[in-house]
Amino acid sequence: MAFRRVFFGLAAALMAAPALAQAPAPAAAPVPGWAVGRPEGSTLAPHAPRLTATPVDQVPIAAIRVPAGFQAELFAHGIPGVRAIAEAPNGTLYAGTRGIGRVYQIRRNADGTTATRVFAQGLPNPSGLVMVGPNLMVFAANRVLRYDNVEATPDATPTPVDLTAAFGLPTEQEHGGNHFWKFAELGPDGRIYTNVGAPCNVCEFDRDRFALLVSFMPDGSDRRIEARGVRNSVGMAHHPVTRELWATNHGRDWIGDDSPEDSLLRVRRTGEDFGFPMCLGSWADPEHNRGRACAEFAQPAALLGGHTAVLGMRFYTGTMFPEAYRNQIFVARRGSWNRNRLSGYDVVVARLDAQGNVTGVEPFLTGLRDDANQRFLDRPAEVHVMRDGSLLVSGEQMGAIYRITYRQ
Amino acid sequence: MILARWLAAALLAAATVGVADAQDARRGAELAIPCAQCHGANGRSQTPTIPSLAGQPAEFITIQMILLREGLRDAPVMAPFAANLPDQVIEDLAAYFATLPPGPPEERRPRDGALFAAGQALSGPRRCATCHVADYGGRNQIPRIAAQREEYLETAMIAYRDGTRAGPDTQMNGAVVGLTDAQIAALAHYLSQLD
Repeated sequence: MAFRRVFFGLAAALMAAPALAQAPAPAAAPVPGWAVGRPEGSTLAPHAPRLTATPVDQVPIAAIRVPAGFQAELFAHGIPGVRAIAEAPNGTLYAGTRGIGRVYQIRRNADGTTATRVFAQGLPNPSGLVMVGPNLMVFAANRVLRYDNVEATPDATPTPVDLTAAFGLPTEQEHGGNHFWKFAELGPDGRIYTNVGAPCNVCEFDRDRFALLVSFMPDGSDRRIEARGVRNSVGMAHHPVTRELWATNHGRDWIGDDSPEDSLLRVRRTGEDFGFPMCLGSWADPEHNRGRACAEFAQPAALLGGHTAVLGMRFYTGTMFPEAYRNQIFVARRGSWNRNRLSGYDVVVARLDAQGNVTGVEPFLTGLRDDANQRFLDRPAEVHVMRDGSLLVSGEQMGAIYRITYRQ
Repeated sequence: MILARWLAAALLAAATVGVADAQDARRGAELAIPCAQCHGANGRSQTPTIPSLAGQPAEFITIQMILLREGLRDAPVMAPFAANLPDQVIEDLAAYFATLPPGPPEERRPRDGALFAAGQALSGPRRCATCHVADYGGRNQIPRIAAQREEYLETAMIAYRDGTRAGPDTQMNGAVVGLTDAQIAALAHYLSQLD
């Protein structure tokens, strides 16, 4: 019995990897895609999420540092895993999560405090939220749900319309368990923009199907590839003046602490190719370059550090902050795991000139990364510009949302 | 009946502790009394397909209980126990089980040399120790798998492979992708035999 099991295992492994059939190898299956390049002995692994409510006195509001004139305050808490933020027409906020499977509803009371409620739960990674008029669309893995007129019944969640089949996004299985979670944004053209991440850390795959930015009509029709060769984007926004699509992008793992870097992408032409898995900017992947010149691919607008995990990004369109911030990009960097020393765990601002070129990247919200002790206090996952011009920053690890204001 | 009484006690316990009072293994010990029926008096399961919890990292137990409570992990036997449990109760239970000394079930079957060797040979290329650490004792959200029940390990890996279970992330789904049933059986035997 035992022998038969081992024999079948060996036979299957050899069939799966015919190139290795000559080698006197043990009954080993091929290395899974996500672990390609992983050095023997490395103990790096993703950080544990916190899925329980953090007591308010443990939320690290006092540790947050912002530039002179800005203040950070606690906006909402007790919402484990909070990530994406979408704002409905009358000001109700909806927030998505990954591991805990919830969508939260957050309403602001007259006294400035907030009241939160679990709007939906039991969903697979509902991390992509976008308002289309009065309707909230939730992109989970792989489910697309539309909750109509959400603000009409603030104490009850409408039964959603299931648009999964209409969008036809790859399933979690088709992603091989990799980069299946969604970000979603409404473009100025009324289309919904979302990501289809790579089905691995790094591998060969169908480049018309994965590692894409795509857009759809809100009913799921008319899929269009906006950009190719984008390993995984979990943040997008359109420039308020040029209407160009910008996106954050995660670099691959297991090939060093500092390269390839996470990046900020500016999509100048529909369908342009940013090079994954062959290249990222001028960096050629030593294992997957296939002899391609990196200059032939679209170049990132900015490099944002190795493994910093760039997530939400928004153009600052408010008037509360000084004029110098107008139309600049805030980027949440959730923070590294695949790196020997921690990087990220902050919010940076990318400075753009009048032509839309990035002239520099500066720290904006810091204090959540403790370099001396190599630990972190929270993980910024999304930024959102409120209609009053304040900036919300979701802290996924502590289940809190911070609000940044400016006073002269 | 037992379940209803336990849930009532759990809710009461949660209501009477202060918010500042972090997870507490002593409170967890009382709350865990009904858990012993299936998970074993010392946290070492004597029941096939039910996992041992002794010595599991507290973060692992907490996260799994949340996934069960939220209906994101499909385990019909556990669902009624996890439903509506306050975070505090879950954290107390996790703290308690983390303090128990780990070990194999009493009736662990003898080592099958060939199967053990086949599992061991797979564990390297599959990078199991990277996350579960060298002694397979786990850390943080990653469980102890050394000396875990063999049938449970097998069931869990098949569920990860077939996409019917995911953790808070999908590392495990990636880790076991493409494994045959026989390879999973070998890995389960190898890990269950470690102490």
